[in-house]
Amino acid sequence: MNRVGLPRALIHYKFSEMWVTFFQELGAEVIISPKTTKKIKQEAVNIAPNEDCYSTKLYYGHVMAIKDQVDYLFIPRYGASDKKYVGCPKFIGLAEVLRSMFPDLPPIIMPHYNTAKGRDGKLSFYFKAMKIASMFTKNPFKKIRAFRLALKKHNQHKKDLVIDEKTLYKWEQSKLFLNDSPKSNPGERQLKIALVGHSYVLNDPYASLDIRTILKEQGVDIITSEQMPRELIEKQMDKQNFQLYFYYEREILGTIMHFLESKTVDGIIHIMVFSCGPDSIAGEMAARFSKRNPAVPLLQLVFDELTAETGLKTRIEAFIDMLRRGIDEQIIFQTTKVHV
Amino acid sequence: MSISFPHVGSFTYVMESICHEMGRTDVVVPNKPTNKTKQLGSRHSPEWMCTPFKMLFGSFIEVLERGAYELVGTLFIDYCRLGYYTPIYEIILEDLGYDFEFLHLNFNNPTGFIQEMKRRTAGLTYWKTFRAFQIGWIKNRFIDIADKCLYSYQAVELEKGTSQRVVNRAHRKIVETKGMRNIRKLRKIIPKMFEDEVEIDKKADPLRVVVVGELYAVVEPSINLDIMTKLNELGVISYTPITFCRWIDVGSRANPFKRPSFKTAIKKAKPYVEYRLGGKTQESIGYSIMYKEKGWDGVIHLYPFTCMPEIITRSIIPQISREYEIPILSLVLDEHTGEAGLKTRLEAFIDLIERKRKVNGDNIK
Ligand code: SF4
Ligand code: SF4
Repeated sequence: MNRVGLPRALIHYKFSEMWVTFFQELGAEVIISPKTTKKIKQEAVNIAPNEDCYSTKLYYGHVMAIKDQVDYLFIPRYGASDKKYVGCPKFIGLAEVLRSMFPDLPPIIMPHYNTAKGRDGKLSFYFKAMKIASMFTKNPFKKIRAFRLALKKHNQHKKDLVIDEKTLYKWEQSKLFLNDSPKSNPGERQLKIALVGHSYVLNDPYASLDIRTILKEQGVDIITSEQMPRELIEKQMDKQNFQLYFYYEREILGTIMHFLESKTVDGIIHIMVFSCGPDSIAGEMAARFSKRNPAVPLLQLVFDELTAETGLKTRIEAFIDMLRRGIDEQIIFQTTKVHV
Repeated sequence: MSISFPHVGSFTYVMESICHEMGRTDVVVPNKPTNKTKQLGSRHSPEWMCTPFKMLFGSFIEVLERGAYELVGTLFIDYCRLGYYTPIYEIILEDLGYDFEFLHLNFNNPTGFIQEMKRRTAGLTYWKTFRAFQIGWIKNRFIDIADKCLYSYQAVELEKGTSQRVVNRAHRKIVETKGMRNIRKLRKIIPKMFEDEVEIDKKADPLRVVVVGELYAVVEPSINLDIMTKLNELGVISYTPITFCRWIDVGSRANPFKRPSFKTAIKKAKPYVEYRLGGKTQESIGYSIMYKEKGWDGVIHLYPFTCMPEIITRSIIPQISREYEIPILSLVLDEHTGEAGLKTRLEAFIDLIERKRKVNGDNIK
């Protein structure tokens, strides 16, 4: 009775290292749902609430994919881990919605954590973790060890993922690759593109229609918004006279604004999720800022469950063609928002 | 330099009163949103932005066209998109080339809130400014009372249109009454107006339906196609406990002897949604349960298209409906919602609860 299921969707992409280590150290068997497949998606679209965003819908599919193999599902109600800025309300509501819609799911472990508005701090984080740990072991040393290792793994993951300003500078100078090295097509200039979007879209090859591979094949060297140094993002956001209070959306808009200003990439591709609340805001701001300062072309792609790979490929190829052709013609195409 | 604000149901009268109390004589009072307002707003809005944003935006553009310069806006940190409305309006309006200035009223920061307000008054002191705001929240209570009366009396009035006429006068009276002593008297005066002037069908035994959901969707008749009145026309008493009082009624919130109803509602919702996640999720669920316990016949849940918190409510509502045996109708609203479709669904729903009441009544006999 100690198999714990983690659906591979939404904030799993941010915290999986922490969660997997924690449960494994406690002696639980961790079962992560497989990578998104067509079957998972179809199931998701069938059962999830109609108006939900595509990313949340996929979560339902992942839950269904593992529900019969596990004794518990781990779905935290995540509010925020920043002092001021919050996540998406859907992260908080998801566990309870699932419990309500599908009463025969295995028991859901749903700790609530919110530092911004819920007054959770380090201590309550620790106690909440211990409470969950007690479900799996009585040994206090084991519990504490699991907690510490989990945190360590999480911090390590963040350190590996997020680069510092020096590394960014080197990347901008084409001295290193931050992701898989792109195919070099003879006779073609290697382009640099910032790929911007939610981590659970960028890192899910199915949901993002494998846009990373498409770009790689096209000989494009990318940096993702997740990798950007946080100081640079905060610096950009501080320039605004408003507070974008969705934590992950700051990453997105901050990255776009950084590159609009520094002009160190050839283009920016912003992946948005249809009917995503935070994206409707950051997307609009990004589009307007890029129109005001049309230094770097911005392509905004809107994804939903109907998005087809062929359509996407054509759009991207056209965009890359345009970038390769040179400056003059670009002016016409500054921001292009398309549903692919 | 005229001051203005968007149209938000009968809360508009409260904002009008506050502006007057601030000593402003140059108030541009917004018109009721029309189809044109909706189109105007959605044309310039982000594509899948929630509907309240689009309609309020239309309303803002209309007042700007009529010469407004200072616009009442809010700026705060929340769970959903509400706190961003003002910054995005600013960016878009700048791009459209309007000349304007937004008030940045920050609910997270009461001192800053009053400071910002004071700056816009006609030279009032801090105390007077606070007083103006206080008059606003007190008048808001009476606006709520007037609306409550309207949607009860209108369901059973003998001569169509009497209640509407009374409420129009009541609203004006609330806006125009001056001085705290006189204002406090309104608590008695308003219900009396309805009692005296509206002749009702005493034999009627109307159904009672409570309307919950996202604040704007509930209080603005032009987004919900005046669903409250539509219910009345079907002979049903309608009421919404979701009003602006949670937002601005600092007085009742600070009163240790009175427990505001939204707190009870939130408590009731805890087993389903334990923590606040923005919008009116907890209130909507809680009030549905509360009003069932009070013996009301049905619930209508309204939410704008792509509203994040209310999609959560909408997904949990079937369980509430099952467990408490209360008929609940969820309606999603956007700027294209059609009159005819809404009417059919309402009629079907009312039919259903009418039949249900009959069956239950027979069982008791
Ligand atoms: S941030 Fe957007 S995409 Fe992510 S869960 Fe929220 S609404 Fe969906
Ligand atoms: S509650 Fe819903 S409709 Fe209102 S601002 Fe938030 S997301 Fe938009």
